[in-house]
Amino acid sequence: MPIKRSVLRARIENAGEVIGSLWPLRTFNAANPLAGFEDQPFDQAVDRARKLFGGRPYPRPATFRQAWENGEINPALLTRRLEAHGITDPPAALLGRMAADDPPGDTSPADEPLDRLMTKWLAAFLDQGQADWPMPNREEGFYAAWRSVAPYDHDGPPVDSPSDLPPTLLDAFENVLTAYPEGQWESIFVQHLAALPGWVGFIKWRAQQDDHPWQAAYPISLADYLAVRLTLAKRMDRAIAPDDAEELPANGTTRPRLPALWLRAWEESYRRRLLDDLSAAADASGADEDDERPAAQMVFCIDVRSEVLRRHLEATGPYQTFGYAGFFGVPMQHERYDGVRVKSCPPIVNPRHRIAERPAPDRETQAATYDGWRRWGEAGRSLVKTLKHNVAAAFGFVEGSGGVFGAALAARTLLPSALFRATDVADARVPGPDHFCAPTVDRVPEADAEGPLPVGLSPEAKVTYAEAAFRLMGWTDTFAPVVVFTGHGCQTPNNPYKASLDCGACAGNPGGPNARVLAAICNDPDVREALRERGIDIPDDTTFVAGQHNTTTDEVTLFVDPDEVEGASDTIRRLQADLETAQAETAAERVEHFRADRPDAPVDEVQRRAADWAETRPEWGLAGNAAFIVAPRRLTRDLNLNGRCFLHAYDWRTDADGTALENIMTGPMVVGEWINTQYYFSTVDNAAYGSGSKVTQNVEGKVGVVQGNGGDLMSGLPLQSLRTDDVHVQHRPLRLLTLIQAPMGRVDAILERQNTLAQLLDNEWMALAVMDPEQDNTILRYRPGGEWTPDAAESAAPASAAG
Amino acid sequence: MPSRADTRVPPLCTWGMWGLFVLVLLGVGVWGGGEWTAGSLLRVDGLTQVMALVTTFVSGIVHSFSRRYMAGAHRLRGFYGRLFGLTLIVLGLTAANHLALFVGLWAAMGWVLADLIGHVRHWPQAQAAAQRARYAFLGGSVLLAGAAALLAWQTGTSTISGSLGAVEGRPGPIAGVAGGLLVLTAMVQSALVPFQGWLLSSMTAPTPVSAFMHAGLVNAGGVLIARFAPVLFAEPAVMLVLVAAGGISALLGQAWMLVQTNVKRQLGCSTVAQMGFMVLQGGLGFVAAAVTHLILHGFYKAYLFLAAGSVVEPTRPSKRTTPRPGLLSGLVSLGAAAAGGLLFATLTGKSILPLNSGTLLVLFVGLAVLHATRAVVRRSALSATPRLWAVPALLLPTIGLYATVYNGVKGLLGPLPAASAPTELTALHWTIAGIFLLAYVALERGWHRASTRLYVTLLNTSQPLPRTVLTQRDQYHAH
Repeated sequence: MPIKRSVLRARIENAGEVIGSLWPLRTFNAANPLAGFEDQPFDQAVDRARKLFGGRPYPRPATFRQAWENGEINPALLTRRLEAHGITDPPAALLGRMAADDPPGDTSPADEPLDRLMTKWLAAFLDQGQADWPMPNREEGFYAAWRSVAPYDHDGPPVDSPSDLPPTLLDAFENVLTAYPEGQWESIFVQHLAALPGWVGFIKWRAQQDDHPWQAAYPISLADYLAVRLTLAKRMDRAIAPDDAEELPANGTTRPRLPALWLRAWEESYRRRLLDDLSAAADASGADEDDERPAAQMVFCIDVRSEVLRRHLEATGPYQTFGYAGFFGVPMQHERYDGVRVKSCPPIVNPRHRIAERPAPDRETQAATYDGWRRWGEAGRSLVKTLKHNVAAAFGFVEGSGGVFGAALAARTLLPSALFRATDVADARVPGPDHFCAPTVDRVPEADAEGPLPVGLSPEAKVTYAEAAFRLMGWTDTFAPVVVFTGHGCQTPNNPYKASLDCGACAGNPGGPNARVLAAICNDPDVREALRERGIDIPDDTTFVAGQHNTTTDEVTLFVDPDEVEGASDTIRRLQADLETAQAETAAERVEHFRADRPDAPVDEVQRRAADWAETRPEWGLAGNAAFIVAPRRLTRDLNLNGRCFLHAYDWRTDADGTALENIMTGPMVVGEWINTQYYFSTVDNAAYGSGSKVTQNVEGKVGVVQGNGGDLMSGLPLQSLRTDDVHVQHRPLRLLTLIQAPMGRVDAILERQNTLAQLLDNEWMALAVMDPEQDNTILRYRPGGEWTPDAAESAAPASAAG
Repeated sequence: MPSRADTRVPPLCTWGMWGLFVLVLLGVGVWGGGEWTAGSLLRVDGLTQVMALVTTFVSGIVHSFSRRYMAGAHRLRGFYGRLFGLTLIVLGLTAANHLALFVGLWAAMGWVLADLIGHVRHWPQAQAAAQRARYAFLGGSVLLAGAAALLAWQTGTSTISGSLGAVEGRPGPIAGVAGGLLVLTAMVQSALVPFQGWLLSSMTAPTPVSAFMHAGLVNAGGVLIARFAPVLFAEPAVMLVLVAAGGISALLGQAWMLVQTNVKRQLGCSTVAQMGFMVLQGGLGFVAAAVTHLILHGFYKAYLFLAAGSVVEPTRPSKRTTPRPGLLSGLVSLGAAAAGGLLFATLTGKSILPLNSGTLLVLFVGLAVLHATRAVVRRSALSATPRLWAVPALLLPTIGLYATVYNGVKGLLGPLPAASAPTELTALHWTIAGIFLLAYVALERGWHRASTRLYVTLLNTSQPLPRTVLTQRDQYHAH
């Protein structure tokens, strides 16, 4: 019976839904590992996923105990929830019971030869430049390449020659599937895909890339994977189909489990406190309007890390800050000065422009100096590489260079702080591209041929992005003399997870380039003219400046020479000084969350972390994230949100038809959910959904990490990004609560239109509350199913510390 | 929260280790090259001093690195206790003079090291890897015990120095067998082919342990050869075995490296090759060269392991191009190779004419220089004149630095029996030289790429033990 290609493709695609895409390390992206389950209620989804991947659904008992002992769970809220389900035991006893019920892990190493063979060949095929001699015949695709090596692979089932194996993908499927009814195929596929969720997630991601150079050169798809795996399974006499039809847990979905109740009580405790604070703030700030023109305004990414710095900066002087997605609304591909092109916008957005870094006309000497050093650096690295790998030269090389490596060992291990300063000095001597390059903001049609995207922005596009930015932030008047767009990036050597600490809205890259583009757009007189016509009146004395927030050291670099800005030099200098003060304050707040070597010198401490090759916790990234606030800064300005909230500027008064709000809810808010669920799952099960301890990680093929000797690719975040030690969590695994200050009807209408959003809320992947300014800033909570209830409906006794 | 001991032991061990390093440094500075014995148990000589200096330095680095890297990990006290203890065992080993003490410390070293490979207790794959290593080390210890017993029986003494003195110049079948057992022990410890399995399965160890293992513990094979050189060198056949075993490992290790896709196993294969080369140097009669190699390789490999998180970078698939050999670049490279070889031979006292085993080492240096020069000269992105200056600017200091270390080591080892004893060249030597030259040309021309069979064979023979591979992620319940 010949198989229909289209049927097969559809079945594979459906089956592939259960696996979350896995981005490569270089462009690390936050994603819900259970994204394919978001059409199911949370509790049911985590249960199914446990069957497939062996992942824990809820936080560990030890994590609840930590929260309980820290007073993070309101006893009254917890008791009420438990009582509602007929549970009356005291919480302390329940913690003990949960710990006792917690099943110990399997301790005998499983050896499944089929999985092992697959991981061996996947690692060989998907390598992106680690091996000098890569797998042969990769250009023919995974199935064909495997078929050519299989006859020599004595680890696998005997194959005399490639012609023993089905010649094409379709033949391979036919060879196996004809024995099974079509209705069973999908469950067969699911079982085999879910066997290696790491590699399969990466294949799924790669197969969806249009312009990925490695995918173009060496194509692979889920069909390739399945064809190889099923062919091997058949020849090795392994089970093709799952043992029995999918069994649902007996009443599993109706009987509430203790961890699920505890999780909700914990979430509610946090949310209650936050919403109470916000209510109080709304009452206090009601009449207080900021009419006075600030000295400077700074726009930061919505990232939770911005909140801490913003708070401290605002305390230093007449500054106003805004939150906006860190790619600044410019869907671009960034071509760095070294020619490397990276996507610099969120995963849900496709880049539409290529922005290249070119030396500014008056900085060509600087560029030439830099080029000279860069070429020697490249030559040196390439020399070391070829000598290291050469069969005969490696021995002499080791002897000749060993002394230098010894010195480097000592310097990097014993003097990390000195290295940080040395890097600073070197950067000052030979300024990098940031100092002499300008982005190609204007169209450069003659460069278009070098790639699929047009280079630069058309005048219309510029106006569109500038207008969108101000509309989304609800910012149409009061522009300060200096307005800074501040991207962010991290600084951490020897860290495979660097991209996870960079800007998530820029696909795991620093956001500075995007900030420069938007600043250049807004300084364009034609753009200002067009904006004026559209009701956004930017005074002529306003200068837009780009900057970058180093989230590891909290230093903010402004990409501007104060002397070159007419009329605003003093303001910029003053701002730079105040940013330094804010850095010190922010660092002081942040070191409390570290086991700091030097808690008394916070800036030195964070600088050391930024340069130390032994540091596995350079910063906490987005750990702690739990809420997303869509409102003017006025509302949150007097609150300490502890770096746990995404902040998006929004003014309900300037967005009557809700367009801006709809964009925020379908864009940044959804990305917030991705980040939050990634942190949740990586924390609750660091093996099945996270990537385990950095201490035993091993970078595979330059694309991902494996643990120890290899096997399946790990996904998600490493333990050190989530936990203060092997036991205690830094990230509180709570689902995201979004609070929007807007009329309830406007939000409801958006949910009516946006089914996927409503689905995320109905299935409890995230929660939503509205502060309705038309109802006296009453807080209304969205309940699964679509009902809005006043917040007070579940109010509880004031939180008190639990013993 | 971590227990009080978990917070106190790490700094204590770290300061202790650096204290030891400073003591050793002072000791070597004052009494360098001297000898000191304590009854029949201990005998501190040049080898002890060199190894103590290097071991305490690398161990200090690993201790300091782990302070940040391992922060918050379970069982830190056990980790530091073992790391510190292991260092003391190695120090004891290099100073041990009583055969029984030496064997006992050897076995203890293997046991503790296996423990560290399995540091993550609840991770079954790590335990399987630890078990694999433990069996290898137990086997090695039994072989060593056999060799020690034979030596003691034949010479009637229980000390290393005594038995070496008795055997020297009086080769016999018993000494030959003992020598063979010692070679096997060294091969197991240094993960030479065919005993590389434990090392290539050991990546479950925390990174700093791998650094210490590859920079320190595998070197014990070299120390064994250096210590028992008179026994090994008494029998030319044993030396030839060293040459063959070392040469094969050097070649295979480098070949395995070509096909590795993860950074740590690639480093592991490199260690197999470098240890092979070190044993080869021993087999050629250059114990001082072997010891120098293991020191410098230790720095190199420790660095690369600790920096193993740095390999993530944007890459693009590249079409492999085999550059046409240009006449000028060829002549420059050959000239540089000859000059480099000559400089090396002069500074380190190797013979070019008459030909002997030292010439083989000159050949390896010449090949490295040749390759480096070719790479620099072909780098057309750099302008021509600085490129030409770069060649001597690189060669002179590197060869000079090596020669300084080598002569320092040789000076300290001076009184050690057979620190430098070049041998006649045999057919085996010529074969090894020929194979490396051929391999060099073949890899440069890309001939190997024509054979899919060779690729699969290299990949398969370098796989870790199946039970140590984490194919089901939920088995990683390490924390």
